[in-house]
Amino acid sequence: MAAAALCWALRAARQVLPSSCPRQVRSYYVDWRMLRDVKRRKMAYEHADERLRINAIRKNSILPKELQEVADKEIAALPRDSCPVRIRNRCVLTSRPRGVKRRWRLSRIVFRHFADHAQMSGVQRAMW
Amino acid sequence: STCSVLSKDKDKSAASTDGTPEGAAKRQEDGAETPKQQLLDIIGDMKVEVSYRKKLQQLKASENKKQAVNKLEGPDSEGSVPQGITEDAQRGKPLNPELVKAASAVASSLPRNKKQTESELLAQLRRHEETTDKQKKGGTVNIRNVISEMTVKRQSPAQWGARISSRISLRLDEDRQRIRPDRSSAQSMDSRSFLFFYRSLRVGKRLNIFTKASTEPEHALKTVPSPTIWDLEFAKEVAAVTAQPPRNGFEEMIQWTKEGILWEFPIDNEVGMEDDAEFHEHIFLEKHLEGFPKEGPIRHFMELVICGLSKNPYLSVKQKVEHIEWFQKYFEEKKELLQEI
Repeated sequence: MAAAALCWALRAARQVLPSSCPRQVRSYYVDWRMLRDVKRRKMAYEHADERLRINAIRKNSILPKELQEVADKEIAALPRDSCPVRIRNRCVLTSRPRGVKRRWRLSRIVFRHFADHAQMSGVQRAMW
Repeated sequence: STCSVLSKDKDKSAASTDGTPEGAAKRQEDGAETPKQQLLDIIGDMKVEVSYRKKLQQLKASENKKQAVNKLEGPDSEGSVPQGITEDAQRGKPLNPELVKAASAVASSLPRNKKQTESELLAQLRRHEETTDKQKKGGTVNIRNVISEMTVKRQSPAQWGARISSRISLRLDEDRQRIRPDRSSAQSMDSRSFLFFYRSLRVGKRLNIFTKASTEPEHALKTVPSPTIWDLEFAKEVAAVTAQPPRNGFEEMIQWTKEGILWEFPIDNEVGMEDDAEFHEHIFLEKHLEGFPKEGPIRHFMELVICGLSKNPYLSVKQKVEHIEWFQKYFEEKKELLQEI
């Protein structure tokens, strides 16, 4: 019985445990601005449903206007970082706020660097 | 001439014939019947398939036996006959003298070393006799029965049917049109033979090779104590020690898949999304509207909300219900305000 339990535990551990060879794990964000952006994203995710529902009440022609004004106040009372508008799509590697391509989440400089070293799958220098 | 024609026909049809001497004896008895009857008997008996050479031998034996019988009746006798008999006498096993004569005739007809072939044929016959004796006594091993049953080939009718049809078609016409119906007939024959084969699997006595596995009652109610922390730690240690670094890219990808870094291919769009609800639970959401007033702008608003939710394929039923409940709670909180209006 104990052996069976051990076997089960072994199997579970084997699947979850990382390999013995060390792997590069990023434990820091590139800079504080990136960190703040990450916090804003998390908050926006948490309050997304609420914001959607309150906005549904606000942007309405059926409900009475008093109700909508109350909803306005409520949504303004939510934390500022919970709105998705404050999220900035920064470069994932350099935290550059501008010149970021959405598909790769990389700034143009990093993208170019990797593409020239043939580390971007399916990306080729344009020539026509 | 008729005999020769018949022999040709027998050559054409790769008919399965009896390999045992009993069959030969039967054929010798049926020598009085018409050759057509003989052919039909051969086609009817679907027993062990014998090689072509043996068939030839047997056919020739039957022919030669007739010739031998005729010759014996006459004054002249073959020189090889007494030799065969003496050889048998030396071996001490009383073989059927007619078979012996047939064997000697066959040996004489074949172009190779006559004595050697004759001895080989006689040995074969002796073996057959031994097996028949043993079977009569009932002392044979069960395996023999098994094997004898297993050697029954049901493909023979399909085979020689196909061969006959193909040969006839080739002889008569070499048009492509002819070959098509033959192919279909061959396929139908194959299907029929297939059915025969499957029937033969169920037919027959049990072999008693495998003992029925005793189905132990599943120990589902075994009280397994949950693994202690020490067990888990030990398991983790063992896994860490035994885990080898990946030797190639494939093993690396396997590891990534286990850890959850890499998706499982082919990509299943519904991974992690276990929506067991039926479609009517998604669409007909009016039953959740019981907490709302039946008239007024709120009802109107909620009906629009429900309409939108019913068209939403991305939310689960639970999420939709939560959505409606949130609105209910919100409007209940605002009841005083609403009543002022």
